[in-house]
Amino acid sequence: MNMVIAGADCTIDELMVVTLARQFDNSTRAFNGAVSFIPVCAYLLARKTHAPELVWAASSIAIDADPACLGESTLSDSIWDGAVMLSNSPFDFWAWAQGMRYNTFAFRGAQIDRYGNVNNTVIGSYDEPKVRLPGGGGMADLGCMIPDIYLWSTTHSPKIFVEQLDFRSGIGWGDGGDHREKLGLPGGRKLCVTNLCVMDFHPESRAMRLKSLHPGIILETVRESTGFEVLLPEGEVPVTETPTEEELRILREEVDPTSMRLREFPQAEN
Amino acid sequence: MDKVLKIEQAAALVTDGSILALGGLSMNSSPMAFVRELIRQGKKNLTLVAIVNGMAVDWLVAADCVRRVISGLVSFEGMGLAPNFRHAVESGVVTLEEYSEYLLIARLRAAATNLPFIPTKAGLGTDVIGLHPETTRLETDPVTGEAYVACTPLPVDVAIVHAHAADVLGNVRVDPKLLWMDNEIVNAAAKTIVTVETIVPHSSFIAEPHRTTWPRFITDAVAEVPWGAYPTSCFPKYGHDKAFFSAYSKAARNPECFRTFWDSRLAGPDTHAAFLQANGGAATVNRIRRPTT
Repeated sequence: MNMVIAGADCTIDELMVVTLARQFDNSTRAFNGAVSFIPVCAYLLARKTHAPELVWAASSIAIDADPACLGESTLSDSIWDGAVMLSNSPFDFWAWAQGMRYNTFAFRGAQIDRYGNVNNTVIGSYDEPKVRLPGGGGMADLGCMIPDIYLWSTTHSPKIFVEQLDFRSGIGWGDGGDHREKLGLPGGRKLCVTNLCVMDFHPESRAMRLKSLHPGIILETVRESTGFEVLLPEGEVPVTETPTEEELRILREEVDPTSMRLREFPQAEN
Repeated sequence: MDKVLKIEQAAALVTDGSILALGGLSMNSSPMAFVRELIRQGKKNLTLVAIVNGMAVDWLVAADCVRRVISGLVSFEGMGLAPNFRHAVESGVVTLEEYSEYLLIARLRAAATNLPFIPTKAGLGTDVIGLHPETTRLETDPVTGEAYVACTPLPVDVAIVHAHAADVLGNVRVDPKLLWMDNEIVNAAAKTIVTVETIVPHSSFIAEPHRTTWPRFITDAVAEVPWGAYPTSCFPKYGHDKAFFSAYSKAARNPECFRTFWDSRLAGPDTHAAFLQANGGAATVNRIRRPTT
């Protein structure tokens, strides 16, 4: 169990889920990949609170799934109960992704750079890697296809938020500026939610910019935990808005009563 | 023509050095009984095409059956990296030819449809494109000036998939129609071998032709192996066995433990039924079986 945040009556996983959920609305049409408990919780929470029309394809397969609780994998039938359709990868999913019928997705990354590009391929050199990671999977594809992509990290550190990726598995804002547009790619990275703060992207340079600090977190901590220079918003940095009692109740009781989301945190016991 | 073979006979159709595509996705619907049989028959120098995979690739790599892996992702999801695969790639014993998911699908579709390439925007602006410029070429449309990636054919010698039911002629039903990316590898393959939970009468296909996934001219051999995807899932009959994945990962931390695990719980048992028995038998089956609704 994560520690309760002083002055917020909630834990960091709950704050991250609620922050993400508030980004979504009735026009959100989302799906999820592996080890994606935080965004899965956020889609379900949004649907159960302010966005009843939100579309969520569990595991990218099970449309409108409404599981009573989450299972230990976000890429398995353990979260498909209540679905109106089990869709097919080749025909349905990839057509809907490229046609932007789906518009929302969320990535984690072993490394993330200032433009929201991500690495999940190797640490070290490609040919002689220090760590051979699982591979990008659909990162390279979906980064080019889906307009609204969110990033999240439960372990904000200089190892993850790096100046230079060892490998670009998925494109965010690319080299910054109008790089995405030049490549003919839709949308871009929207927001990055971590265990320390929320960051958005500067509208012109497309570099990561602090949007709010979580309660009790100071700017210095974010700076020390980030391998590149984080842009600051104009004026005072706001504190991340905390969840309402109702949001917390629904998350705890209806969305994820068995707290599977804690599996994304290092101290969680699996 | 009767296409039913024993799993030992079906696995014997795979020759050393061939390009073998494995069905399923991650912890779902992998042809694990067939993979185990390949290991028992000591296949060598295989090239695996596995779009998103984990346990099947790790087994074959651990058994030294593999020279090259063509894939977009190999892991045990939240349970960590695939240990033998990781070490084999890091040490160079196995060559990884890496693409993203959709680039692989596009390459398989080019093979399936006899086209020189399939264009896509997938992968633009990433390092994935630079890995294999000969098979995923960065090009510009001369008419519109738009950038795209030209994905060249990826021909497959044998596709091996696990399905719910087949008749003796080789008509196959994946039911419900959760195909993962199996259709892509089947259509790109010279030969398709299907393991099924059960062989059903031919008349059941005629009674419900709309439920058929692949007709008999697509399939070359069928082997009946109940629980044949274990320890991965076969929705809706059973889920994946979390306990097996955990025990496997834990054993892999120590070579001696892994050898014991391998002999007693994985490669040792001579049939798939014996393999299930070595992993808890009825108790395990009851644990992974999904409630019928």
